[in-house]
Amino acid sequence: MSATLESPADLDDEEREALETLLKRLGDDEYVLAERYTEWQVKAPTLESDLALANNAQDELGHARLWYDVLEDLGYEEHELVYEREADEWRHSTLVERPFAEGDWADAVLRHYLYDVAEDIRLDALEGSSYAKIADRVGKIRSEEEYHLEHASNWVERLANGDEGAERLQDAVDRLFPHALTLFEPCAPATGAGDASGDEDVEETIVSAGFRDATLEEMREGWLSTVVPFLDDLGLETPASELVHFDEYEFDVTEDVLPDAVGRDGSHTDAWDDLREEFTHTYRELERSEATKIMDKPE
Amino acid sequence: MDLDTVKERAGPREFDPADDLPEEYRKAATRMIEFHANSEIMGAYLERPFIRQAPSIDRKLAFSAKVQDEIGHGQLLYRAAESLGVKTREEMLDDLANGDGKFLNCFHYPMEDWVETPMIAFFVDGAAMRRQATLRRTSWEPYAHAMDKVCFEEGFHVKHGEDILRTLMTGSRKEQKLTQEAFEKWWPRIIQFFGPTDDRSTHHDFASAVGLKQQSNDELRQAFLDQYIPKARKYGLEIPDEPRIRERDDGTYEVVEDDLDWDEFFTIAKNEYEPGVGQIDGRKKAQEAVEWVRDTLESNDMPAGNQPPQAAD
Repeated sequence: MSATLESPADLDDEEREALETLLKRLGDDEYVLAERYTEWQVKAPTLESDLALANNAQDELGHARLWYDVLEDLGYEEHELVYEREADEWRHSTLVERPFAEGDWADAVLRHYLYDVAEDIRLDALEGSSYAKIADRVGKIRSEEEYHLEHASNWVERLANGDEGAERLQDAVDRLFPHALTLFEPCAPATGAGDASGDEDVEETIVSAGFRDATLEEMREGWLSTVVPFLDDLGLETPASELVHFDEYEFDVTEDVLPDAVGRDGSHTDAWDDLREEFTHTYRELERSEATKIMDKPE
Repeated sequence: MDLDTVKERAGPREFDPADDLPEEYRKAATRMIEFHANSEIMGAYLERPFIRQAPSIDRKLAFSAKVQDEIGHGQLLYRAAESLGVKTREEMLDDLANGDGKFLNCFHYPMEDWVETPMIAFFVDGAAMRRQATLRRTSWEPYAHAMDKVCFEEGFHVKHGEDILRTLMTGSRKEQKLTQEAFEKWWPRIIQFFGPTDDRSTHHDFASAVGLKQQSNDELRQAFLDQYIPKARKYGLEIPDEPRIRERDDGTYEVVEDDLDWDEFFTIAKNEYEPGVGQIDGRKKAQEAVEWVRDTLESNDMPAGNQPPQAAD
């Protein structure tokens, strides 16, 4: 589908809500992941890896900025989105909010990998978005994310090569895999708490309006069929099982692997409160009511 | 080459790794560049928490980029220092971790609040800019070459620091008050950035004679005061009563050096000042926590970097 929807004025209420929900999901993932990545600045294993991770953090922040900017067309402002939004109104996956244990570089690179495979699949599904601004921005984001994916898989392969690395990676898989599955959970509507059926409706509209051309289920399958064999080849076990149907291989994970808090519906792990407390600290302390812009609006 | 020849030839970018230089020169240059590189790393360590605390996405991006630039400068400078053949990068980084590596006085102090960020990002970086600009004419070519890039990026940092200061000083009364308090706390440290006066400076004569150092502490301090006192005032900051500063008839400024706490300065110079020790140890702990990664890379016999450092090189 080519982009036909140029502005929020072209949308009915249901579509508008779906668009808003999709954008929060996109922007929040990138923003919160970037917050976590920056924790590694000055703390990465080598000066070179420090520089590389800082690059990725800034790329993700830049992407968050692009998605939040589209939300601004729907009447939001940055200070409302980032600094004044209640904790349970954020829609990011719990994968991106989990804290790092000091020195746990295996967690950092594995999370990076799990996320970036999903991001690659998601961008694929957004490339032909019916909403012009989304389709326009995918290209720019894509060029950067491809490099991220390569960077992440290189690191995972390298660490898997050593005993300690392999052990730490397996720990990270056990911890992070369930949270990564929340990447494919439906979101509660952008405002207010949803219930499960409302969440499914919003998700359906996201696809039927053509904002994104793959369902969560399809993207999840795509993700599992990339991630599981990759990790398996490195000797890392996942909770996924292989379903063989004639000559087709599929992977599946049972529902009970999902963590209690899935993020997408506004439920988050306690690490999220601490993180949010920290990044809103200055804004609250100085009693600010707007977020300073120093760069031009993205095109 | 003997020392007299070095002194005779000492001019901007005069020497490079192809020259056979006396040990005194190589050691002095290593000490100076290592100090500079260490300062980049410890400055980045101090500023890192403010990436998170920045009150807007743009500021956050700029802070993350600044910290990244500083790590990149560290990388460049260690390389310039390594090329003197006295110490390897690993040795210098180890020394920094175990408390033997020396670095700038200002980075031994803790930084706790956002209002303190322009004290480093505008004033300290502004002071550093002045010094670094002169080092583009240092006699060790790899150092001068590194300075070209460092100065270029540092220019953006200072502008960003100035912009943060402007925002704070045109913000609420509370912001202005907190910023003034931060300024009073940091001002004496900032003046001490340039070290003791020339007559009390230990390494100055030699570094100057062999062209490593292009301007004296006194000249640099003077230029900084003349430029930054008016700037501070322009943004509504009041210059603290101490250290006393006298305005000469020609509009230049003179500091009463005895009003500054030189005991504290020399305690810092020995890496014995308490908050600084905490910062050195904090970085050491973070580095030890990822020791296993470096070990894994080594045993895999792969290069430590997995890609050319993009933004910083």
